[in-house]
Amino acid sequence: MDGPGLPLMLVAVFAPVLAGLATLILPKGALGARTAIAILGAVVSIGALVSYINAYGVAQDASAVTGLPFVPSVHLFISFQPDGLGLFFGLLISGIGALIAIYARGYFGSDRDSLFRFYPMLGFFMTAMMGIVLSDNMLSMLLFWEMTSISSFLLIGWERDNPRAVRLAVQALITTAMGGLALLGGVILLAQVSGSWSLQGVIETLGASHGETPHRLLPWAFLLVFLGCATKSAQWPFHFWLPGAMAAPTPVSAYLHSATMVKAGVYLFARFFPGLHGFEYWMPALVFFGAVTMVLGAYLALRSVELKRIFAYTTVSQLGLLTCAYGLGAIEHHGELNLIWPTTQILNHALYKAPLFILAGAIIHVVGKKEAPQLRGLARSKPLLAWLTLLAAYALAGGPFTLSFTMKEAFLYQVYHAAEHDSTFWIVAGMAVVTAMFNVAIFVRFVLIFFGREASERETSEAAQAVEDAHGSGGEDHAHETGFWAMCLWLPAAILLIGQYLGGIAPHLLERVMAPFETHALYWSHLPSVLEAFGHPGPPLVMSLTAIVLGAALGVSPLWRRPVEDAHNRLFPWILRTLQRRGGWLYTHVLQTGSFHMYVYVVLTALIAGLVYVFAVHRDGFQMVELEMLWGPGAGFFLAATSLTILVCGSALVLPIVRSRMVRVLILGASGFSVTGMYLLYQAPDLALTQLMFEIISVILFLLVLRMLPEEPKRWHEIDRIGRATFGVLVGLAVGWITLQVGGYVDAHPDMPRVGDWLIQNAHHAPDGGRDGGGDNVVNVTLVDFRGYDTLGEVTVLAIAAMGVFALIVAVPASSASRNEDVCHLPREAYHVPEGPQPSLTSSLFRTAMRLILPLSLMFAAYMFFKGHNEPGGGFIAGLVMSVALAVYRMAEGQRALRRILPIKPGPLAALGLAIALATAVFPLLLGDPLLRSYQGEIPLPGGGSYHFASVLFFDLGVLFVVVAVSVGIINRLTEELE
Amino acid sequence: MTLLIAICVAVLFAVSIYLILGRELKEVAMGVFLLGHGANLGILAMSGQPLARVSDDEVISLSAPVLDIASTPLVDPLPQALILTAIVISFAVMAFLLTLLVVTHRRTGILDIRDLSHEDAPLLSAEL
Repeated sequence: MDGPGLPLMLVAVFAPVLAGLATLILPKGALGARTAIAILGAVVSIGALVSYINAYGVAQDASAVTGLPFVPSVHLFISFQPDGLGLFFGLLISGIGALIAIYARGYFGSDRDSLFRFYPMLGFFMTAMMGIVLSDNMLSMLLFWEMTSISSFLLIGWERDNPRAVRLAVQALITTAMGGLALLGGVILLAQVSGSWSLQGVIETLGASHGETPHRLLPWAFLLVFLGCATKSAQWPFHFWLPGAMAAPTPVSAYLHSATMVKAGVYLFARFFPGLHGFEYWMPALVFFGAVTMVLGAYLALRSVELKRIFAYTTVSQLGLLTCAYGLGAIEHHGELNLIWPTTQILNHALYKAPLFILAGAIIHVVGKKEAPQLRGLARSKPLLAWLTLLAAYALAGGPFTLSFTMKEAFLYQVYHAAEHDSTFWIVAGMAVVTAMFNVAIFVRFVLIFFGREASERETSEAAQAVEDAHGSGGEDHAHETGFWAMCLWLPAAILLIGQYLGGIAPHLLERVMAPFETHALYWSHLPSVLEAFGHPGPPLVMSLTAIVLGAALGVSPLWRRPVEDAHNRLFPWILRTLQRRGGWLYTHVLQTGSFHMYVYVVLTALIAGLVYVFAVHRDGFQMVELEMLWGPGAGFFLAATSLTILVCGSALVLPIVRSRMVRVLILGASGFSVTGMYLLYQAPDLALTQLMFEIISVILFLLVLRMLPEEPKRWHEIDRIGRATFGVLVGLAVGWITLQVGGYVDAHPDMPRVGDWLIQNAHHAPDGGRDGGGDNVVNVTLVDFRGYDTLGEVTVLAIAAMGVFALIVAVPASSASRNEDVCHLPREAYHVPEGPQPSLTSSLFRTAMRLILPLSLMFAAYMFFKGHNEPGGGFIAGLVMSVALAVYRMAEGQRALRRILPIKPGPLAALGLAIALATAVFPLLLGDPLLRSYQGEIPLPGGGSYHFASVLFFDLGVLFVVVAVSVGIINRLTEELE
Repeated sequence: MTLLIAICVAVLFAVSIYLILGRELKEVAMGVFLLGHGANLGILAMSGQPLARVSDDEVISLSAPVLDIASTPLVDPLPQALILTAIVISFAVMAFLLTLLVVTHRRTGILDIRDLSHEDAPLLSAEL
């Protein structure tokens, strides 16, 4: 973890996203600057990687791992392993990223909005991708992995108004996210197996245990990792999402869906190869799925007509080939692993597939046609584009003098070596030849189309129409550019193609670049040129030439010319539909029936069942209650305790029996006041005060609401009284038993260590000089300081609830009652709200009294507030006292009078309170202290004494504001409804 | 003391579950209200009874968790802080629940759970 060059690594990974964010600051019109910054992000990345290589070289072992702790408690580190594979991928990603940033400027033209949206996403994706390939910590790798899934989702759904694009984006997201989930499982299991969360650690441990009996979890780990990689790298049968991803703009297809993101799976195969290749399922799984994907992709590419779709399927095919190559690599050949220049193999694909996509986008942009057969005569109308496309397609076909040819040879040698060991692999050889044949046929068909008969007059006008349409729909086409920016449409492709042909014609030059990164260059000490290949003919050369001949024949033949739809495309929608339909049925008919009673029964039955289970298992672990302590310190205590119990229980028990709603509310209040007494007995003055105020407000609230609702129906049918009562008693017994057990345990173990002890010790002065609250009232200090974060969340909830109340009441005005007669079991008049003037609340006695009481109450509230930190009181209590006073005053004097006293509306007041609380909470961060840190001091008072001031007082003030705003606001709103 | 509070919790839970399973929405609201009291007392019981035995025949009261006026050991302040939060939150929940009652009644004219379940769902969700 303490290797060199951490700053360089951080720059390499995070420069693109920072550049992307920086482009957001520019005005929308600044296209040149925007493009320049986006390119700069990628170039800085390249620069950082190159400087790293110059300074420290390519890492060879785990000692080069460098990083920072992120969340060490869950083994999450941001750590990097700059070895050959990682650095190669990093350079590939940032290099092509820079080219794509240029291309996007040509592709989107002067479309300001698109460029504004595109570059930040591009930067975000680039950082995510760099993170995957450079991370050493598996969890941070996974984090970046998910980030690529998200950016891919956002970019496929680029046309936000197009339902098809959104559907395809969701399909890609669900497929790759499921894979990500599997990979998470795999990573966790690998960490269990090897005891390390570092990729290097895992690979070293697994690599060292070759030949031993594998850990019993290893097959599962492998399965999950394989699933993750296969979905990301579009292996059969998960390949369907990749052609669907072509709904994205072409720069995205060229970058994410051909050159980089889809290679993340292959990257992981390459990464785990040294550790896992000895595992018995590695070779069969990778070879089988890779080979099937390879052939299927090539076949479907031949049977497609849309340019981007053709290239998408060839990408699928190539990903299959790469997977297959890493599978074949596990077979030992003459004591060496059968892997030939695999990293260059990956580079090769990027060097022709990205140009193909770039050019496809350029053709669609310029000509306005998406389908290959419509491009007849392109070689005459747009010679430059046509020739570049053919050059790239020639590389796709793997013709001589391209890097592709050499790498195809390399792959065929791998297959041949495998077949020498086991003749079953001749099947794979056959599949490889067929794949190459399809690729050649695709190239031949492009030649035929581009040099074919010119499009007729009628078709030309149709083409013009198509361009119009495309522009009109805001689809693939954008405003055309001239001059340099128009060149950006094809220039990046040309640059990449130079690399491709350089590798074919002058391989020693490319070899010098690639050698430091190459992981398995053992077989071939150098990259052979075409001449060498012909000079040393072998079965692979024969296979290659056979494929070329057959492919050319297939290309000119009329065979397989009509497009076919991949049956797998229906797979995902079918699964989704089935899940929705069946799952929907299961959900609405079995799990969520909408019957509120059933939910209560299910949840509480589970509680009772759990208790019965515990009872059955731990029969002797129960706490006996010390009954003699009932008497307490004296008869007074005993009397108080028993009478309060009788009051609480009695008022509760009367509740179901009483009919009149007003009496019920009063009983409810009585029950609450008895609970207040209980709090006093339990030495909780803060609770008692709060409960008292809460009870008053609640009774007011209940009365208000009940006045808006009808009287109880005259004919009363109780449902299932006995069943309900039985169940209620069972639940009561269960919860009572739990209370008795837990409380009894605490009673029997008075010296048990508790969190509360720490709170008491630190409330005023921390004994160890650490964080203290500077107050004597431990409960208040806990609320505003130790658990202040919790309180902040709570007042937020209060404000949200109040918002809900206001919105609901406004959304459904009083006149909206529907009058459907037939559904009701009871006669409608049973629900009738009494008509006519409601009895007025205002009497002059009440009003006069309130005018005297209000100032006293407000003063009392202020007193409660200021002394709250050291004696019972505080923001909550003061707020509730104030609310009660204001609410009652409002009832006496009406809304206008309330407005005079409280000029600010409840909504803004709650917002103000939240803002004050938040500001107090965050302020210490500015001074470098932890969140909610309290600052204290003594403020001298005029009378000679002093007031101990703690800065959390402001936090408490925020709480007070919110409480007042919410309770007064709600009461005021409901009273208004009544009037 | 713990026995007494356990009895209170048991009774409060039993009655509130009985009310919640009733057919009238107003009863359900009252049940939820009582349930809050029951739950708070249950949490309070976990601080242990506010009594301590100093010798075989002497039991003293513990003090409230306020430092400078305390003469005996303090009770556990943590459950109290939790309950204080819970009380205030339950006020918000009550207000919301009661508003829902009013709104339901305004839209459907019904306050009976069984009748409501016969209503077509769209009637309730429309315009909301």
